[in-house]
Amino acid sequence: MSAQAATRAPRLAATAGRSIRRTRPAPQLKPLKRDEKGLPVPHVHVVVRDTHRSRLADHYHNTLQDDLLYMTYVHEPTPRPPPRPPRLTYDPNDPYTKHRFNPPLGGNRWSKQLPPPASPDNIIQLERIQIHSQIKQATVSRTNLLGPIMALRAISGANDQAGGQHTAEGVQIVRGRKNLQGWVRPGIPVGVKVDLKGPQMWDFLSILVEFVLPRLRDFQGIPLEGPSNRLDKPHSASGVVSFGLPPTALGLFPQIEVNYDAYPAPFGMHIHFVTSAKGVGAQNRARALLSGFQIPFARS
Amino acid sequence: MLSRNAVSTCRHRSRACLHAPSRSLASVASSSSSAASSEPSTSKVVLHAAVILNRSPIITRTPTLFERAYYAYQSRIRRALFNPFPTDFYFKTGSLLEKKFAREEKVREREAFGGPWTVKRQGPESEDEVGTSTADQAESMGEEPMDPPAPRIHDSDRTGDVKSLDRMGERNLYLLVRGKDHLGNEVWRFPQGGLHEGEHLHQAALRDLTAECGENMDTWIVGKKPIAVHQAPLSESVKKSLGGAELYTFFLKAHILAGQARPNGTNVTDFAWLTKEEIEPRVDQAYWASVKDILSDF
Repeated sequence: MSAQAATRAPRLAATAGRSIRRTRPAPQLKPLKRDEKGLPVPHVHVVVRDTHRSRLADHYHNTLQDDLLYMTYVHEPTPRPPPRPPRLTYDPNDPYTKHRFNPPLGGNRWSKQLPPPASPDNIIQLERIQIHSQIKQATVSRTNLLGPIMALRAISGANDQAGGQHTAEGVQIVRGRKNLQGWVRPGIPVGVKVDLKGPQMWDFLSILVEFVLPRLRDFQGIPLEGPSNRLDKPHSASGVVSFGLPPTALGLFPQIEVNYDAYPAPFGMHIHFVTSAKGVGAQNRARALLSGFQIPFARS
Repeated sequence: MLSRNAVSTCRHRSRACLHAPSRSLASVASSSSSAASSEPSTSKVVLHAAVILNRSPIITRTPTLFERAYYAYQSRIRRALFNPFPTDFYFKTGSLLEKKFAREEKVREREAFGGPWTVKRQGPESEDEVGTSTADQAESMGEEPMDPPAPRIHDSDRTGDVKSLDRMGERNLYLLVRGKDHLGNEVWRFPQGGLHEGEHLHQAALRDLTAECGENMDTWIVGKKPIAVHQAPLSESVKKSLGGAELYTFFLKAHILAGQARPNGTNVTDFAWLTKEEIEPRVDQAYWASVKDILSDF
């Protein structure tokens, strides 16, 4: 570099009267590529991030997180004993059964694991909300799914690859897995579902709590099991709270309400709240979290 | 032998975990009080239950300048990139509602991307224009004009009224009362009181809160476990009058849902809803040290 500068120096002195910088015509910008609709495609991959603060996310971080730690805290002054070694189906030292599949007897018992020690780092949080609807008429004609797809898109605001985010999956079609005689065959579309995360999840939750549930007729709250329910069943230890909404609830979402007549037939839906709770009694902790967002639970 | 020991420790642990979850911090006091039965009465322990009554934020936090710029930028990107809005799906073609939406959408577009055609908001005549045009729209659509939202700064913030529950909407407020402590001095402290025989901490906390601040409040105690403990330093004379050698005050968190505090006037004369920074100069140093970590910074 310095050698180049040294060789260039006398030429600079000779052309002292003129501009030092070599002139070059302005670079010709290539015109932007156009997509099939004729719209310009930018050079960079544009990703849309959050456009507003989520009120419920703020509520979770300001208030609920502290309360949930206080409510679910279990004092463990001594360290936990190491877990018992699992009893395997075959003796692992027996050369005869050495390469056999050797699962523990009675399964891995994941639902009987104790929850991790309560600490400020692993306070329960809402990870995603899944809205799922099975449309029986879809087995007759798959065009019957178009209405539910449009309705779920309107409710959730989710779209495939929305905002340039490759993880956004939008509304998905659920296909049959098993062969049930005269009803479902593997691979045929039977319903729709959508996974919500982030701001969309918080928006959906606030709309559900403020517009839909209060106006639902004969709604007695989400039923709870009795106290005899065991806490170590897979259902109770998975940290997921689910409930269903009747078809009449669809018209109560403000996004659907404005043009309710545009949708062919109302349909009910299942809503699954997936939380980070694990271990025995995780579902009850998930319910405590959701009741903090004013979802009403009632003993039946 | 070893396996049986392991099983027995497991069982002990699970019992301690699952069946006595509220024996968290109280184990300190119960162990010393069980020791007290064998020793002379000077080492008796006195327990108090105090309530940290919280008013959660009622409005969202004001975004910083950077946050506002970031969100505005992302909103502009979203507006520039989103799929075309299916107007014919949501509105009948040629309807009043469609025209209204198109008009409002044009204004939003100008606000987002600016330019020489931006709507000027300053000046009295343009303000009149905006006012009349919105009134016309409301008339034409048969809708009532919407009330403007309440200001983010309440009147009590300007007047410095610390008793209002509407003050400092975006902060956590805590109820502090002016009352007598265990020495009989008038101090600022959280509402508190003693425990009855066989009473649980959370029951005592609720009872003491009602006794000191009246029944005109809907409150909810968060959980049954205390979230902090304060041991007041005691002199010999105080120990004699108190009837115990140690005084522990356990703090329980509670939320106010409705109503307002009404001090009873006998042992509590005044109250204030304060943020964390406002609490610090009012309370004792040792008291502050034991509660500061459980008060919210926001």
